[in-house]
Amino acid sequence: MIGNILITVAFIASIFTIIMYYYTNKGYTNTLKLARLGYHITAVSVIAASAMLLHAILTHQYQFKYVYSYSNSELPMGLLMSTFYAGQEGSFMLWLLFTAIIGLILLEYTSKRDDLEPRVMMVFTLATSFLLLMVSPVLKSPFTYIWADPQFIDVKSINSAFLSMPFLQSFFFSDPNSDSHFVKVSSELVGVLKANGISLNEFIIDGKGLNPLLQNFWMQIHPPMLFVGFSMATVPFAFAFAALMKNKYDDWVKQSLPWVLTGTMILGLAIMLGGYWAYGVLGWGGYWGWDPVENSSLVPWIIGVASIHTLLVQKKTQNKGGAGKFVKTNLILCIMTYLLVLYSTFLTRSGILGDASVHSFVDPGMMVYLLLVLFVMSFTLLGFGAVAYRWKFLTQNFSHEENVLSRELALFTGAVTLIASAIIILFGTSAPIFGTSVEIRFYDEMHLPIGIIIGLINGFSLLLKWKSTNGKDLLKSSKNSFIGAFILTALIVVGGGIYDFPLILFVLSSAFALFVNAEIAIKIFRGRKLFLGAYVAHVGIALFFLGVIFTGGYTRDMQVDLPKNETVSVLGHDLTFKGYDLIENGKKYAFNIEIKDGGSSSVIAPVMYIAEFNNSLMREPDILSRFTNDFYISPLGYTDGTSGEEHNHDTAGEIISLTKGQSTLLDGKTIRFNEFVMSEDFMSAMQSGESFFIGAKIDVLANGKTYSVEPRMINEKGQRSFTAEDIPELNLSIKLENLDASGKVNIIVAAMDEQTEDAAETTTAKGKEVITVEASIKPFIGLVWLGVIVMVAGFIISAVRRTKESQA
Amino acid sequence: MKNKYIFGGGIIVVFLGFMLFLFTQTNVSYENDFTKIKTVDKTIKATGEWVKEKHYQFNSSKRILTFFLRDNNGNEIKVVYNGSIPNNFESCTSMVVTGKYQNGYFQASDILTKCPSKYEEQMPQEAS
Repeated sequence: MIGNILITVAFIASIFTIIMYYYTNKGYTNTLKLARLGYHITAVSVIAASAMLLHAILTHQYQFKYVYSYSNSELPMGLLMSTFYAGQEGSFMLWLLFTAIIGLILLEYTSKRDDLEPRVMMVFTLATSFLLLMVSPVLKSPFTYIWADPQFIDVKSINSAFLSMPFLQSFFFSDPNSDSHFVKVSSELVGVLKANGISLNEFIIDGKGLNPLLQNFWMQIHPPMLFVGFSMATVPFAFAFAALMKNKYDDWVKQSLPWVLTGTMILGLAIMLGGYWAYGVLGWGGYWGWDPVENSSLVPWIIGVASIHTLLVQKKTQNKGGAGKFVKTNLILCIMTYLLVLYSTFLTRSGILGDASVHSFVDPGMMVYLLLVLFVMSFTLLGFGAVAYRWKFLTQNFSHEENVLSRELALFTGAVTLIASAIIILFGTSAPIFGTSVEIRFYDEMHLPIGIIIGLINGFSLLLKWKSTNGKDLLKSSKNSFIGAFILTALIVVGGGIYDFPLILFVLSSAFALFVNAEIAIKIFRGRKLFLGAYVAHVGIALFFLGVIFTGGYTRDMQVDLPKNETVSVLGHDLTFKGYDLIENGKKYAFNIEIKDGGSSSVIAPVMYIAEFNNSLMREPDILSRFTNDFYISPLGYTDGTSGEEHNHDTAGEIISLTKGQSTLLDGKTIRFNEFVMSEDFMSAMQSGESFFIGAKIDVLANGKTYSVEPRMINEKGQRSFTAEDIPELNLSIKLENLDASGKVNIIVAAMDEQTEDAAETTTAKGKEVITVEASIKPFIGLVWLGVIVMVAGFIISAVRRTKESQA
Repeated sequence: MKNKYIFGGGIIVVFLGFMLFLFTQTNVSYENDFTKIKTVDKTIKATGEWVKEKHYQFNSSKRILTFFLRDNNGNEIKVVYNGSIPNNFESCTSMVVTGKYQNGYFQASDILTKCPSKYEEQMPQEAS
């Protein structure tokens, strides 16, 4: 309740702040203090509300629907804290929290710089207001009580001490299909509980828990970082808008540069942390899949990067007074960065991409959808409205001619190439709105030429001088780098066996960028180290490109079966499956696989487990990282083969899962599971640990006749084995594979002679533990990570330098 | 001014042209009417509900997964997928399968499982 009040207070205070800043900007002097007070109330309320939510999560207050839905009592501290943003309400809350905190820093920053504060903070606070609306009690507040809408909660989450209480019986429901029982939690139940002196918090003692896909280290870093990046994207928008309001375009550039650099750095790092998460833990095989969610955070980043380059031109060309060059471009790019953050939020949160992404989305409802639309529209109108309003003035005052061989034009061309990339990704990502979509190769093939151009411009723009460059000088200065690039490319082409012409060009252009930047960086290193930023970042992107070329173009992979203790040669390595270990209290299976390559040998252990959360098989890869490549093993499946001795059908045939009384059609035969047959003294045998069996009566209807068989599970002193029964008339063998108490059986239906057909495949497999894996070798993937780290380092150096300059 | 337009405009025009061309080559449309899927000889993303009553089959030696999808009008198609059972398969309710309809079944090259992460919203009908 207090949480909702805090959010409401923050919202009202934010509106008040906007109005007070508006009047301050109009010239009133007594409103500034009120505006600052208003913003502080907003920020403090948001921080307090976030602290309350975190407290509710840490103390397991399952009376809050959000806490119940995304956390449980077993999660370790770090992951428990990360459930703060596991759902839609909380992730907006986190975005809001970072926005509020950044606003406090921004207020301090702008208050020291002329009359910047009211205009910047007015727009910035408006963004905060929209986020507050998103988590407000009328929309999607994380503080909504669980009984606000009647909920069916699994009895597993209920304190068993209360289950037998008579007054509760009318709230119990069962689902015969899944054999689970639920308690209907509604306001009536809360009333009944209260009347009997039971608090809801004693009643519900566990939550649904966190999706196992999210239960790892990266969940604790990647989303918060992304939201810091998103929040910081608001700042350049506010600066650009403030400049348009005042109709003065010189100072905002140096004032916003440190923000743009820091925000872009954080967003970029966050995106690639997500990539590493997908690669190293989720087992998606690669670090980038052009998934809509990935794309939609990449697009604002690309525009942010483009804006850095054109902002630098404007700053550089301000030397002789005036606003400098690319005034309009900069305004538009800074506005676009934030609009794209909003658009990406709209795409990923409105449910519009429901069918297009591996990230699962829940339709958040019409209200959220409309508010998101309103949010995007408002800022689009605000941003572009202001540009349109000033357009005549802008074109009259700020139109410049650029020389062909000038750094200005090179940077502009680079920025435009980045914009082209953004348009392409945006186009492909938005396609599902119009009922279509693009294949992955659309993005890959489009970005090959873009990458080549970016590499070349990256190198050339630094060799070109401002204003104009003598062609001969350019040739002279680029000679060393070109020679170096040609040699490196030749080595890579010959050594790596690359014969694809566009890829060779891409290698060449990336190598060129690498050499140009490295050469300059080494020269500067002896002098003013703060000027290194751009070159370091560019070396990073060149390394990144090279890593992308190698892994994208030359990854080799194959699917193999690895029988236990048998050595199989895979991609030039000898793999031996050594058996599995139980890890994490026996919940997960780690499959030890020994990799031998020449003299060296190492063991890696991909993991599989059944997650209770969604009753699904989860797979985690493991990676042997080496200097030149990663050996990546992703598990696909496992059979323990313990019962394979008497019949060889365990790997051949179709697995069919049936519940009692159900039938299915297979190759024109109806297969029906009638009932379980138990050994006579079944119950007592099971309890005393004696041998017993459970059989499944299976009828096969074919050619108008019914054939009955009864494959069994035999339990001898705890050792389970399964039998197969043959129907010679139909050449069928039916084997019980598994059964469970809910009345479901898995049977394997195979042709009796199938093992002879599949002899080659099954002979090695029969009676053995076999793990099926996808193995791949990813050459020089380390360059991708190294490139990102170097790039981030470059960004940090630049941000420090530009922060110092912004105080001048 | 001119140079900026030549370089910038040139790049945008060339890439937009290339993009539209490649789009016509790589676009895959969504289809939720299975009667149409059977008539089109083109890669398509079929969206439908998993027919759980018909039970999936998995041939582990050949690695072939077979199951049925149903569209809103009750039309069913058999889906055949070469590969391992996708994550979340057991708990999902509907799917997006990418592929082509041929020889009486839908040969899928990719499966996207959609899971009800808020199953409680469906529970009232099932539970009562």
